[in-house]
This record gives sequence, C-alpha cells and structure tokens, in this order.
Amino acid sequence: MGSFTSSEQFETMLGGFFEHLTVVPSIAEKLLASKLIIRFKYTDPDVALVVDCSGDAVEIRRGDTETKATVEMFMTADVAHRFWFGKVNLMMALTRKQMVAKGPVPRILELLPAIKPAYQLYPTYLRENGYAQYVID
Amino acid sequence: MRGGYAGRVLHIDLTTGHHSEAPLAPHMAREYLGGGGVGARLYLDLIGEALAKGASPPDALSPENPVVIMTGPLTGVKMDAVARWTMSSRSPLTGFWGDTNVGGHFGAELKSAGYDGIVITGAAATPALLDIQDGAVEIRDATPYWGTDVYEVTDRLTEDLRSPEGKRGHVLAIGPAGEKLVRFAAVGTRKRHWAGRTGLGAVWGAKNLKAIHVRGSGTVPIAFPKRLQTLRKELKALYAEDMLIEALRAFGTIASIDLGALTGDVPYQNWRTGFWAGVDDLSSVAYQEQLLTGNATCYACGVRCKREVEVKEGPYAGVKGAGPEYETLCVFGSLCLNTDLPSIAKANDLCNRYGMDTMSCGATIAFALECFETGLLGLDHWHGPAPQWGDAAAIVELVELIGRREGVGDLLAEGSAAAAARLGGAAPALLSTVKGLEAPMHDARGAHGLALAYAVSPRGACHNASLQYPIEPGGMFVADVPELAVELEEQSSEGKAALNVATQDYGTFFAGCAVFCNLGARPLSAAQAVEMVSCVTGVDHTLDELMTVGRRVWYLKRGLSNLFGARAEHDRLPPRLMAALDDGPTAGGAPDMDLMLREFYELRDIDPEGLPRRKVLEGLGLDDLADLLHS
Repeated sequence: MGSFTSSEQFETMLGGFFEHLTVVPSIAEKLLASKLIIRFKYTDPDVALVVDCSGDAVEIRRGDTETKATVEMFMTADVAHRFWFGKVNLMMALTRKQMVAKGPVPRILELLPAIKPAYQLYPTYLRENGYAQYVID
Repeated sequence: MRGGYAGRVLHIDLTTGHHSEAPLAPHMAREYLGGGGVGARLYLDLIGEALAKGASPPDALSPENPVVIMTGPLTGVKMDAVARWTMSSRSPLTGFWGDTNVGGHFGAELKSAGYDGIVITGAAATPALLDIQDGAVEIRDATPYWGTDVYEVTDRLTEDLRSPEGKRGHVLAIGPAGEKLVRFAAVGTRKRHWAGRTGLGAVWGAKNLKAIHVRGSGTVPIAFPKRLQTLRKELKALYAEDMLIEALRAFGTIASIDLGALTGDVPYQNWRTGFWAGVDDLSSVAYQEQLLTGNATCYACGVRCKREVEVKEGPYAGVKGAGPEYETLCVFGSLCLNTDLPSIAKANDLCNRYGMDTMSCGATIAFALECFETGLLGLDHWHGPAPQWGDAAAIVELVELIGRREGVGDLLAEGSAAAAARLGGAAPALLSTVKGLEAPMHDARGAHGLALAYAVSPRGACHNASLQYPIEPGGMFVADVPELAVELEEQSSEGKAALNVATQDYGTFFAGCAVFCNLGARPLSAAQAVEMVSCVTGVDHTLDELMTVGRRVWYLKRGLSNLFGARAEHDRLPPRLMAALDDGPTAGGAPDMDLMLREFYELRDIDPEGLPRRKVLEGLGLDDLADLLHS
C-alpha cells in the first residue's frame, strides 16, 4: 500500500499544487505555449487530473476522465509525489514502466522546462497548505 | 562460418605497399565475436611477439603501431541499430589503448566488398589512400587530396572512384587535423559519422594514410533468415511503442539535454558549477527551432537519430549539413557557458571539416577559457582581450586555431592534459581527463557509478566503454539480466562496483563486439540481442557465453592499456570531477571512489598495482596477455 489512502485527499493535495503552478507566470507561460491537454491518471489511490493548456489560461480539472487528452501519464500516487520532489528519475521511471506516457513524445519533452522550477515549489506548497507530514527530506 | 561474417581480413602494409588476406578464424569469431573484440585480439597478436622478446610497446605515431578496423557479425544486416563497426589502435592522445565505435555505411560496405576488417601496419613514404572494390585492393597516391578537408576529400573521392556504371562507394578519411597530428584528430565517413575518440586520426596522419574508399556488391549471409524475420516483426512492434526511440527520432541525442538538466547530468563551466540558467537556450526545442532541417541515419536503421542543420543568418550563416550531437552541444555550449546555437553548429562544422573529435576539442577549449580566466594563458597567447566564458566568436576561433595548429591552437592540439602539463601551476587542477581522455558530458556526481566507469575504462573517461551510462541513469533497462535490473539510487556509490562489472561484460559484448548501437538498440532485451546474433551467425549462442566474450574482451583491453603503462593511479577521476558542487541537482554530493574502486578491484581480481591477476586472465584464455603482464 502507498503513502496515500484517500483519493479525495490526494486529489485535493496534488490538484491544489497544480492550481498553484498555474499562477506562477514562468510556468504558466511555458504550459500555455505547449497547447497540450494532459491527463494524469494515478493509482493507489485512483485519481484523475487534467491540466488543460489549450485555452487562454491553464485550467485544472479534478476527476475529469472525459476530455480527449493530447497526452496521458499513468503512475502510482507515490511515484507522482516523489517525482515532484525531484526524486524520481523520469528516464528510469519510463524505461522501467513505473510511469507510462501516451502521446507525442516531442510534445511531452517540451514540458520539461516547465517542470524544473516546479520542483522547488512543491515542498513549500505542502508545508504552507497543511501537508507538511508528506515532505520528503 | 555460416553467416554474419565475410570470413576474410585484409592486411595492408603501408611501408612496403603490399597487401594480403587472412581468414577470420572461427575460434576468433567465437571467442571475440567481432568489432572491438576481434580488433583488440588482432592488435595484441601483431605486437605481442615483439613485446615477448623484450621490445617496448610501439609509440602511437610510429609505423609499428597497427590500426585495426573491424565490423561485427551484425554489421551490414538490414535491421535497426546494427550498422556499427570499430577502429582500434594505441591512442596518440592518451598513450593507452584507443578504440572508437562508428556508425554510418562504411562497415556495411566493407563487408559487402568481402572483408570483415582491415589491419593497417607500417607507414607510407608519401600520402596514400586505400581503394577496395569488391575484393580488388589498391594502394594509390593521395598527394592530390592531401591538405583537403574531410568534406572535400569525401566528395572528390566518391566521384573520382565511382564505378563505370556510376555506383558510388563510401569514403573514410582524415582532414588537416589528422595530417598535422592533432592528438584528438578523428576519421570521418559520409561527413557525419566519426571515429572520434582517442585521436586515431593522428595515427592515420602519421602513416600518411589520407583515406580508404570501399565499394562492394555482396550481401551479408544470414544463417537463419526465417528466424530473423520473426524477430524483425517482434522488434517492429517493440520499437513502435518505445518512448526513447520516439524521442531519438524526434530530437536525436539532443533530447538528453532536457532530462540531463533536471538530474544533474549536464556539466557546466568546465565542470565547476551545478546550475546555469542558459541551458534552457540549448534545449531540444530550441535546437529544432533554430537549426534543424532534417534527419539522417546509418545503414538500414529506421531510428534516424542523426540531425541535419542549417544556419540561415548571422555570422555563421552558411553552415549546412551534419548537426551537433548532444555531446557536441554540451562541450561547446554548457561547458563554455555559450548559449549561441549557431556558433555551436559552426564549431561542430569546423571540427568535421578539420577532422577532430568534438568532445576533446570542446572540453579542451573549456579548459583553455578557464586558463585565460585565471591567467594561466595570457595576452601572449591571444590577439586581444582574453576570451571570456560564453564568447561564441572566441570559441569558434579556437577551434580553427587548433585545426590549423596555429598560435595557442598548437598547444591545445596536444589535448588538455598535455597542455596542462606544459602550462604547469594550477592548470592540472582544471582538467576533466582520466588517462588523458577528456570526460564526456555526463556528470558522475549525478550517477556515482559513472565515476567508476570513467576511472576504469581502458581508454580513459568514457561513457560508451560499457553500458553503465544508459543503465544507471535509466535510459536502458535490461530486465532479463538480473545484475543489470537491480534497484538503483543514482546519487549513491553503494553497489555500483558490481553494476559496473555487469555493464562492462554485457556492454562489451553488446556494443563493443556484436556491434549493436547503444542508442537505437536500447529497447532490446538480452534474449532478443542474443537471438539476433544467433540468427545471423548460425551459432546458437547463450547469454552466458556472450557475457564471457564481453568479460574476456574487457580484460584484453584493460591489459593492453596496462601494457602501455596504465596502473592503479590512472584509475582515478581528476579533482574537478570529484568536488561536490554548491548548487544544482547534485549539490553537496560526490562519488565515493575509494569504496567503489576497492570493491571493483576485488570483483575483477585486479592486484593493487592495477594489473589483472594471472589466474583470471588464464581463466579467460588470455594466457599470452598474462605472460606479458606478469613475466
């Protein structure tokens, strides 16, 4: 069993983080430039989050399993959580199938510059929003 | 031999102008498989007798230093990622074992002309070229081509030596850098595939060998074509859904920079800082937007990872052709803090034309920039204000000066280690070399096992001497070899010695001898790799047997470097690569070399002096090497 037992809790925590990222100009700008619609499908517990960059503003939709996504990413909640701490090697996770990505690879790689600054924001976000117990040192 | 091999090796004596053929013995194919394995074995056979009689090993630039070009059993087979071949000799850059692994079409063409490889000895009195056309061999006068750059000699020879029916062959050639004995001179084919590392272009230059032209009409015999067809279908499905292959198709090796910047793989400013915002300007998307015009590929490979570029405006307008690979992007970019992509394309183009290894050239320039910064190089070495970090024009000019061996370029053409020795003072502390070879653009502080891989690689700091680089950072996962499928923590030194042993044994078989491409063939399981070799050769190999081939060849190459003087003190990384960085993804961490080396020596049965013990060599059938090292 993973670190997170409640779908609602994980969805609120990670969905909140994604919403937090949408108001960081340097990140939002890169996301919007990608025009991607990305669905993250997590297991253990099951959660779906959509990051829609196709409009004028980045939109986060919790529980959205209907929208046709450009890219879909599949992983466990634990892997996702460790990823945002910079503790998951993306390449290794992909080759070992700890993460599965479906969609155009070039478009996925375009997102990497947006990810880098987000690593530094995740621990702070957790501490400031009542999730300090999940911070990984 | 049923399949895979032409069965003949061509021997050229440039001193006498004679040539002969020798069969590739079945036991040689079985014990060393091909590529760098057979290359190293043939090399030792050539120099071993003299060494046994007490002679010193040949100087790298002497006529007595042989060069061995070898294909593998798969070279020329119409499958993805098996076009590669190797060149081996003593390195004029390091003084130790030198070998290099090359793509393109030359290997396939050589085999179709009837040869598995070429052994070149002696030195010609005047510029020479070797012309091979379907088993007809001629040593020709290369005087009209001497002094031309690699692009020009390639174009001219391709035209001058085409068949009466118009069929063109393939050319392998050096440029002015090889002729002027630049210690990291390269040998190039099709203007985009390079025998780059360890400076074997200078060995050609010392032999007065300008080029080899080869044209053939044969095909590679396949022992079990139906079985190979079944495997081909299986691999087609595998490749269709593999993300890495798709990334290679989309961005080539450049894709590595995006991930590498996140994990601490990319080195900055001559390896002294862990963070540089400018790396975003070198991203795969930026490269695509500013430079990319198309893709190219090796013989029969559908991955098509090679980049074609064009600079359309600005001071470097006119650059058109083979684009920089990831390593080149970093040495002239992040290592020099240079965000100007067109200048990197220009530096790459100049290296190609002069015929120089971009990796050693760029790393030597980064070293020089720091020498200018610290006053080790001064105004007497430059025509104006000292070059600064990120000075694109100065970087490009330094490439030209090295290629022509002019001014400070003459010093830098000796390689950074030799230049540092000559400059003295603090210069050696700025080096990124192991055994004299400049390190590749993968920072071992981000994956500690890489530090050991660089330290004990027979040819010096190298990420391709084993499969440690793709496996430890995660770009390759060989699930059916338990020693390679262990759980990994990159920024830890625990267990990395054992992993290195496995990546050496498997990697030397896979990429060194077979010769699979260690990029395009990454999706293959070990079972699929073994099956492909078996289908082609007709020998039902086992993985254990091929791992033993890899192990045997690893010790052979290690032993050759030992014969050239390598000892335990050479199995060390320079301080610059070992110092923990203050910032970036690896801040505060550094590999534990003492731990890894201690474990590695024990696992490999290497004595404290750095020599493999007699018992382990004899156990692998390397009795002659054991005698040479221990008598």
